[in-house]
Amino acid sequence: VSRLAVEVAGIALANPLIAASGTFGYGVEMAGVIDLRGLGALVTKGLYLEPRDGCPTPRIAETPSGLLNAIGLQGIGVKAFVRDVLPLLHGCGTRVLVNVCGDSVDEYAEVSRILDAAPGVAGLEINISCPNVKKGGIAFGGDPAMTRDVVAAVRQATRLPVIPKLSPNVADIGLFARVAEEAGADALSCINTLLGLAVDVDRRRPKLAFGTGGLSGPAIRPIAVRMAWQAARAVKIPVIGVGGITGAEDALEFLIVGCRAVQIGTANFVDVSVFERTAAGILAYLDRHGLRHVDEVVGSLAHPAKEDA
Amino acid sequence: MAALRSRRASIFGQSVYDPRVLPPAAPAGAVNRETPLVAHETLSGPYAVLSFRHPEVAAAARAGQFVMIKPGRSADPPLRRPYSVMATDPARGTFSLFVKAVGPGSAALVALRTGDVAQCLGPLGHGFATPAVGVESLLVAGGYGIAPLLLLSGELTREGRPARVFYGGRSHADLQLLDRFAAIEVPVVATTEDGSLGQRGRVTEALDAYLETARTPLELLACGPDAMLQAVARVAARRSLRAQVSLDPWMGCGLGTCLGCVVRIRDAGCETSRWRCACTEGPVFDAAAVVWPGETEPRAEPRTVSA
Repeated sequence: VSRLAVEVAGIALANPLIAASGTFGYGVEMAGVIDLRGLGALVTKGLYLEPRDGCPTPRIAETPSGLLNAIGLQGIGVKAFVRDVLPLLHGCGTRVLVNVCGDSVDEYAEVSRILDAAPGVAGLEINISCPNVKKGGIAFGGDPAMTRDVVAAVRQATRLPVIPKLSPNVADIGLFARVAEEAGADALSCINTLLGLAVDVDRRRPKLAFGTGGLSGPAIRPIAVRMAWQAARAVKIPVIGVGGITGAEDALEFLIVGCRAVQIGTANFVDVSVFERTAAGILAYLDRHGLRHVDEVVGSLAHPAKEDA
Repeated sequence: MAALRSRRASIFGQSVYDPRVLPPAAPAGAVNRETPLVAHETLSGPYAVLSFRHPEVAAAARAGQFVMIKPGRSADPPLRRPYSVMATDPARGTFSLFVKAVGPGSAALVALRTGDVAQCLGPLGHGFATPAVGVESLLVAGGYGIAPLLLLSGELTREGRPARVFYGGRSHADLQLLDRFAAIEVPVVATTEDGSLGQRGRVTEALDAYLETARTPLELLACGPDAMLQAVARVAARRSLRAQVSLDPWMGCGLGTCLGCVVRIRDAGCETSRWRCACTEGPVFDAAAVVWPGETEPRAEPRTVSA
């Protein structure tokens, strides 16, 4: 048995490293440059029922150790994905999780129903946290009642593992984690991007055409680790940590605070060897610390548990 | 993995798959490796020519293709930068970039010393298509945009294709690579807006003057600032000439996954347009297809493609 193999929400992963939604296309784009067998899983770009045009340009801006983006969920729609892309991923050597979007509770449920009937989907990540769309996205993830409605509707629509992706743009992520768990979630992805604004001082306008954007990259890692830790303490279901991971040490931070797996996002734009390096680095860490399996790292944080500090 | 790649390729090849649904993937020949800097030539002002060892880029890069490059693995600046390949030396396994230090990414590149290592992925994107036999290629460069056209000049003259270069800038300091065309034996018309070198005026004015008298079939191939490319597109449209332009939007990944570098491109023979990734579907586009700033933007109804 591999020392890195883990199970999350009933999904067996070859390692705890997952490509984050929006940073890996639909997987097929990366097949020419990365061996997908090195990934525990990939999460597709977010999909609505129909194709979406996304935001005007410019859509991305660099910030200190970070990336601010407002892509606006440009995408091909779930029907084209199931018909044209999913067959290409059969036998690709990794698990395919699909990021599910909606403008309404009904749309989330409908997209989930379509994916439930599609062969080759290992689980659904529910996007209730995109900051770059006017409806849906964070409108659902920023309100506990809406979060409950979306997760419960998706739960009704599918037998696949349901993994809501929580927003960091809330005061108490533990509350949202519990609400999602009670509504039937099998695991949680923590966190999506942080809402940000970058200004072009010469033109006195936002650098992004949409105005605000979602901040990702190493800049947000300490916030992501803290929120993943809070979420993991709040629920019994597994938490998948996301935010600014660029290598093994970063991934280990999330595992140590209680995440069963992690997602690598922005680093995919920077270094196509990040999965290979991170997996090798975690194995070296296990050797260095005399551990047999990565599970022994999970939740091993030596810290006096501050009860709801 | 090879199976996945070939299945995808064959599906694209048979046109079963409508490429309007999903951008094409990065070329399977793109290779990521640590690339040592083998030569650093400082030019005047903020300019430098940097040569790196990367056998795959050296062997395969065509004019207009680019690399994504980042010095080291530091978190700042976070992203790689796209650079058009300026020259290749397949025998030595090296390629060269023309770099102007203007921001943190380019400054970090120029600060590299011989022997330092950068992360480099390439070759990427679709370069210039070689014009048909008997067509004279008119290469139009604005300042810093000269890099891919130097490589293209070499490719064309090696194949015995007629070519002519129009190389413009604000001042003589912007025409850093002018002397490198002497070895290629391609005629060059230099222009500067301040008249400090070559003809005074804009490069598109010199181009237009040449087109007034030209009698052979012509095609324009251009790289430079957006405003210059738009002017080239206007000249081409007025004279019913085909023009290829290399666009340079902010690029996040170079692989078609971040969707940061999208540009609005008209669908062939349609009134509609849609986003195309400059990285995987460009960076070279037909100028007539580009929806330029200020133009009314035909928009495709978001749609699925019937199977």
